[in-house]
Amino acid sequence: MPIHSLGYRKWSGPLESRSSRWKVIAGVGIRRAWQNMWLRRIMFFAWVPGVVMGFLIFGYERAAEHGNSTTFMFQNLLKIFIQGPSQDAVLSGLANPEFSGSVHEQRHLFWSSLLLTLFQRSQVMMLIPVVGMIAPPLISQDMRSRAFLLYFSRPISRMHYILGKAATVALYLLLISFLPGFLLYCTGVLLSPDISIVLYTWDLPLRVLVVSAVMIIPTTALALMISSLTTESRFASFAWFSVWIFGLFANWVIASFSGPVTDRSPLEMLSLYHVIRDVQGWLLDVNQEGVDDPGSRLVLLLMLTVVSLAVLFRRVSAPMRV
Amino acid sequence: MTALIELDNLTKDYGSFRALDRLSLEIGDGITGLLGPNGAGKSTLIKVLLGLVSSTSGTGRVLGCDINQESQEIRARVGYMPEDDCYMHGHSGIESVQVAAQLSRFPATEGLRRGHEILDFCGMGQERYRNVETYSTGMRQKLRFAMSIVHDPDLLILDEPTSGLDPEERESMLNRIRVLSRQLNKAVIICTHILHDVQIVCDDVVILAGGRVTLCHRLDELRRSLDPSLTVKILGSTDRFLKHLRQKQIRAEKLSDQIVRAWGSEEAVAPVLWSAAVKSDVAIRSVLPSRTSLEKIFLKAVRKADDADP
Repeated sequence: MPIHSLGYRKWSGPLESRSSRWKVIAGVGIRRAWQNMWLRRIMFFAWVPGVVMGFLIFGYERAAEHGNSTTFMFQNLLKIFIQGPSQDAVLSGLANPEFSGSVHEQRHLFWSSLLLTLFQRSQVMMLIPVVGMIAPPLISQDMRSRAFLLYFSRPISRMHYILGKAATVALYLLLISFLPGFLLYCTGVLLSPDISIVLYTWDLPLRVLVVSAVMIIPTTALALMISSLTTESRFASFAWFSVWIFGLFANWVIASFSGPVTDRSPLEMLSLYHVIRDVQGWLLDVNQEGVDDPGSRLVLLLMLTVVSLAVLFRRVSAPMRV
Repeated sequence: MTALIELDNLTKDYGSFRALDRLSLEIGDGITGLLGPNGAGKSTLIKVLLGLVSSTSGTGRVLGCDINQESQEIRARVGYMPEDDCYMHGHSGIESVQVAAQLSRFPATEGLRRGHEILDFCGMGQERYRNVETYSTGMRQKLRFAMSIVHDPDLLILDEPTSGLDPEERESMLNRIRVLSRQLNKAVIICTHILHDVQIVCDDVVILAGGRVTLCHRLDELRRSLDPSLTVKILGSTDRFLKHLRQKQIRAEKLSDQIVRAWGSEEAVAPVLWSAAVKSDVAIRSVLPSRTSLEKIFLKAVRKADDADP
């Protein structure tokens, strides 16, 4: 007990702005998630691919500076990190004696390809465990402990609540998608011969932002919807990982039976990973095999987001209706 | 009495089920007990008052704010303590109160300072630093109470504030409620099944049954007027005193040796008591208006509602 208790006192003082309420919910979620040691470890490893690609940019700029002096090892490294039709374009650009003449176009292609690799191969894969650790308990635990009564007896709306929860997931995803991508771009600018490079590559940060949004928005909506469907966070985790594993498995089965990759079936859209990957390639303006119609994939992501949000809003208001 | 809550023909339907049926009500300052059997519509009424669910028809104002249009303004000025065992998962007690303050737009540091002050007021010691999942029912009850008052609300709605508390804690909780109402002029609505608590702290009582208000009155007057009677303590022969009262057509009964209850209004019965005392040669030690128990009032109001149902 306190040595000296003032008892209850009336309170008057300046209040925060009305828009700050969702930030409180987000802050609570972010702090809670950060207490998970495994999340901290994954966040650390999520940055490793970006760092490695930073070295590739360094190598590339060295090659650009000294003409056609790329080593065999560097070319092999590029083959590992850049695949598909853009690989040949990048490598032939490096092998071309007139390399320095078309360096701006080559650089744009190289950076785009590298960013695509960063997103497709590592960051989307990192997204699955990161969201799997953060999102499932976010709403399900509030429903289990009936904390929604404590939230909604305050001057907050369903929109504030959902925005706060979504911001929790989105912040961590921004840290593993947009931030590494943007810093990779900045690294490229800093390592390039002069700052005028920005004039030729100004669209890349914007593309990185949009690519990150395409990755973050549907997955956040889906993860929160799953969390809102149950009071057991382990069931929500199971459902979240099942969505991805089932999609990847279905894609593998279809790919095994549908022959060459150019004959891709619309059934491949069963895999959320492949849908996001294809849209990212299109947004970064990098040629991809078999992706002729990114529109249908975009519509699918949009529908997924809208349906998830609709279910989420309904589930969040459900406890109040009884 | 200033009406803090005004409801006019308020109806709330859940599908075909009518939870609130053309409810008209005015609640003023002081402590009001909201009573009713299970399914009477108390929880729905609270949700409607807080703007958590919208009414099907009718109008209402809480602290001057429209319940359907200004629900967030209402919730900013009302402190609600839910009955359910709810808590913010993974938080300590002080963190929970701080978050509650911040959700009411308190700055973070001020929320923390105020949180400590309120937890002191609620008698919560070092356990405030423990995770709420480790709390006992009583401690969670105190925590919810602290969360409901941290933003200094004008009106408090407390749903079963004393359930799950041991007698000492129950008494402390009721004292806190009394302090908030009497010394700090907070209006308080206590929704409870523990009639004894209502009897101790409430000024007014509202009884709901079948989604309708069956009774809304000052508790003091109510307990007197239901079936007025006087309790008389005497010295002398009780039987002789009773005989003389009955001769004067006064209904009376012996409660115990030397204590008699006589039915009728104070004005009508008191003179007869004195004359009967003279005739039966007994001394009257005290005459007090008898109090009807709240339980009787409650049962009568609920039965009235049941009888009114088709």
